[in-house]
Amino acid sequence: MLAFLGSAGVIAALIGSILLVVRGIRGARGGQSDLRAPGKLVLAGAVISMVAMQIALLNDDFSLAYVANHHSSATPFPFDVATAWAALEGSIILWGLVLAVFTWVVVRQASDRLGSAAVAVMAGVGVFFFGLMITVANPFEVCVDALATGCAASTAWPFTAADVPVNGPGPNPLLQNHFLMAVHPPVLYIGYVGLTVPFAYAIGALALGVPGPEWLRRSHRSTLVAWSFLTLGITLGGWWAYEVLSWGGYWAWDPVENASLMPWLAATAFIHSGLVQQRRGMLQAWNFVLVISAFALTILGTFLTRSGTINSVHSFTQSAIGPALLGFLVLVLVGSFTLFAMRSHLVASSPRIETFVSREGTFLVNNLLLTVYAFVVLIGTTYPLLLEAFTGTQVGVGEPFFNRLAVPLSFMLLLTMGFGPVTPWRGAPTGLLWRRLRWPTIVALASGLVVALTVTRVAWVILAIVLGVFVAAAIGGLLLEFAGARKAKSGLSLYQEARTVIGNDQSFWAGQLSHIGVVLVAIGIAFAANLPLHTEVELAPGESVEFAGYTLTYDAPFRRDEPNRVVQGVRVEVSRDDRIITVLEPSANFYDTEMGGIITPAVMSRPSGDLYLTLRNLDSETVQLGLDTSPMIWLLWLGGVTTAAGGFWSLAARRRDRVVEEPLVLADV
Amino acid sequence: MSERTRNIASVAVIAVMSVALLLLTSTQPATSDRVQQIGTRIKCPVCQGESIANSPSQMAEDMMDLVSERVSSGVPDQQIIDELLGSYTGAVLLDPPASGNTLVLWVAPVVALAVGIAMILWWRRHPGPSADDATAPGKSRTRLVIGGVALVLAFAGIVAVAANSLQDRPAAAAGAADIDEQDLSEVSNETMEAVIAANVEDPQINGMRLALAERYFDSGDYRSAFPHYLVVAEDPNATGAEAITALVRLGWMAYDGNGEVETATRLIDEALAIDPGSAVARYVRARVLWCGAGETDQAIETFEELLTDPELATETRTQIEADLEIANDGGGECP
Repeated sequence: MLAFLGSAGVIAALIGSILLVVRGIRGARGGQSDLRAPGKLVLAGAVISMVAMQIALLNDDFSLAYVANHHSSATPFPFDVATAWAALEGSIILWGLVLAVFTWVVVRQASDRLGSAAVAVMAGVGVFFFGLMITVANPFEVCVDALATGCAASTAWPFTAADVPVNGPGPNPLLQNHFLMAVHPPVLYIGYVGLTVPFAYAIGALALGVPGPEWLRRSHRSTLVAWSFLTLGITLGGWWAYEVLSWGGYWAWDPVENASLMPWLAATAFIHSGLVQQRRGMLQAWNFVLVISAFALTILGTFLTRSGTINSVHSFTQSAIGPALLGFLVLVLVGSFTLFAMRSHLVASSPRIETFVSREGTFLVNNLLLTVYAFVVLIGTTYPLLLEAFTGTQVGVGEPFFNRLAVPLSFMLLLTMGFGPVTPWRGAPTGLLWRRLRWPTIVALASGLVVALTVTRVAWVILAIVLGVFVAAAIGGLLLEFAGARKAKSGLSLYQEARTVIGNDQSFWAGQLSHIGVVLVAIGIAFAANLPLHTEVELAPGESVEFAGYTLTYDAPFRRDEPNRVVQGVRVEVSRDDRIITVLEPSANFYDTEMGGIITPAVMSRPSGDLYLTLRNLDSETVQLGLDTSPMIWLLWLGGVTTAAGGFWSLAARRRDRVVEEPLVLADV
Repeated sequence: MSERTRNIASVAVIAVMSVALLLLTSTQPATSDRVQQIGTRIKCPVCQGESIANSPSQMAEDMMDLVSERVSSGVPDQQIIDELLGSYTGAVLLDPPASGNTLVLWVAPVVALAVGIAMILWWRRHPGPSADDATAPGKSRTRLVIGGVALVLAFAGIVAVAANSLQDRPAAAAGAADIDEQDLSEVSNETMEAVIAANVEDPQINGMRLALAERYFDSGDYRSAFPHYLVVAEDPNATGAEAITALVRLGWMAYDGNGEVETATRLIDEALAIDPGSAVARYVRARVLWCGAGETDQAIETFEELLTDPELATETRTQIEADLEIANDGGGECP
């Protein structure tokens, strides 16, 4: 029954998408066609398929092969809900649902040819993903050969299961070990899928030969939504890795992580270069390149992480999803760039840039750095695969490679971030930058000195502090300057005037909030990466050890039986000056599926940083523990959230700004 | 204070603070953790893309122990790395050298940066067609050609990769086969671990898994042996004999390592379900019940029954006879 309902939803969404492509193209040619009805069909179909999957998971309906293989009746809330995106087929349902929502957003604003063309592109992407769901990655196959737990063989047709297992193994233990795994994928998917919207408008604009800023304006909100969610998703991913993967790190330059960073870098560059086109009419061609790249990178990322190419070359052949995604990637790249080349005579460039000492000049530098950054991540992630595919030679590209290139690039970006916001469009009058950056420079160096004299003299940390404070002080100084100038005229308080200044150009100041978020991230990483303490200890019950100013006392081992797992660990009292602060429980969690326990760290967070305990070995007499500190790590989480918040805030401002927005500088063209 | 004086003062303050910072940070002795640093440069052989510094696996831990030992005895970094790469199959340097086939990794980003700068400078001088003459298609011919060539190259590359990846890769499987034919006694535990990790999907790897597990078992390293026995015991493709060996060993370890008599008998019963006549399973079961639950009489009965089997291996026979003697000897304290 649910298999039928779910499949019906997928097929409805597929038919709706095909209709939308046809009608979208008709609309783009100037014909009249109703897009809303098929748009609703896509949305309804996608919702129905997700609802069917959720009902199946919540009711332990093991007749569905997906449920049988990735769910267990013992899986507690919210992990049963999240199981819907814990494995390949289910995650495509989520992908389809998010895509359907974004498609609906585009359908609603499609009253003209450009909008119709964008709808056609969105729906074309939809045809691919809903097509996957009825072919190579069908989440609604029913079980025909049950195992004790799980399902060995399944079929899409007919919709009734021939053999229903009693129970399933449950989702991957790593994924049900922390609540973040329930929210992290949807957030990230909104980011990935959202980037389809600017891509669709770009392709629509190219196809119609209208490369002007209209497509940027129309897709701007969706781009911001996608970028903000992508930012949040990456932050949550780092936090999840930190809380679950038990090595005290948050970022390992793992291909899966890189897959999310690459589109983020491209999208960040695009947000900035899009502004240049909107304000100055420059970089038209470059914006097309960036937005096509950003979308292609999301597909590449999905290919890398979902086809199994990374984990094992063997699993590549097991699922047809890999070749399908690769084929789609090639289609996107070749199709987009062919169209781009065919229309390149229409893509007008701009008046020449007057001077590099201007806002657009700093954006050029920012785009160059971000693009090279994305390229470094891309080559570091794919080169080992390419080399192995061609020559069979295995090379490793890991943290040391990425850090050596990414760290200098990140510091250069920080420096640019200090200059950009205080530099006016078209060029700065002589002496302006000096006046605006004099104090930020002094404050930044003074902060560096204070930290160097009181906390640490490690060069990377000091550099992060100096550049970070420079950026923040430049932003603060600018706000004070604007507010001060108004105050001199109006006589109102500085605070009131600052609010007015921000309110008048909220999207700019929202961008600055994101910049401050990035500063916090940079400082957080600098501290956590350069000043952690680490040691391994072996303790008998009652024994204590001094670490990082705390006294850690091994109290006793414990074992806790939970519905879906057995938690086995030790209680460790953390005290300072003979006062017990907290009791930490580093543990190994044993799930039915996995026989080795999932080592789960215990973390105590303080303003100065985290204390991070990991269980290494436990026997009847002693326990071996890994002790780590992560100084100031909370800055990283706060910074990531702040960066995303800037994006959301800018979104809130957008509608109001439009009224007072100065006319677009098209006269230049 | 005039603007000029203020400027000079600012420059002076900035200069002094910069110099002070440079002095402070450059006199900082390098306190970086060499062990950790080396650890992040080596890929853990049995994990997926994790460095040995970041992996919680037993093997990575062993390798890290080796690193810290070498570091404390003053061995230079490169020598430690060479030793690790040499003695652990599957360990790969995560820090690709700027030479050979990884040179391109270091050169490409620099080239990209240079090309980017060149493009920006070129664009500054030649800002391209303006909107007025934009409709004249002739101007873009060069661009079209360049774009086309780049596209064809990209396409060819992707197709080649796809074709290559789509073929099943016999190389890794062959590695396992080679080693199968070798005398396993000459292969190090680490090599076997790596080969097993690389061939997880291959049902034929169970033989090597068991051999490795037996090795750990014999040396009393139950912790390392356990996961391998478990995989074999749970593998539907394992042969009956393999599954029995694995289950019996697991049973014995449950008793001997953790004192869990019930788990032990349950596991051995599973083995007996596969082959009720398995002498090893019956012997170990009797022994667990004797030593763990004091069922001496039942043990004696089973031992005697087993000894009546003429096909019993000599080694097992001696062992059972010895045990029987102790069991019959009054108190029946198990050895």
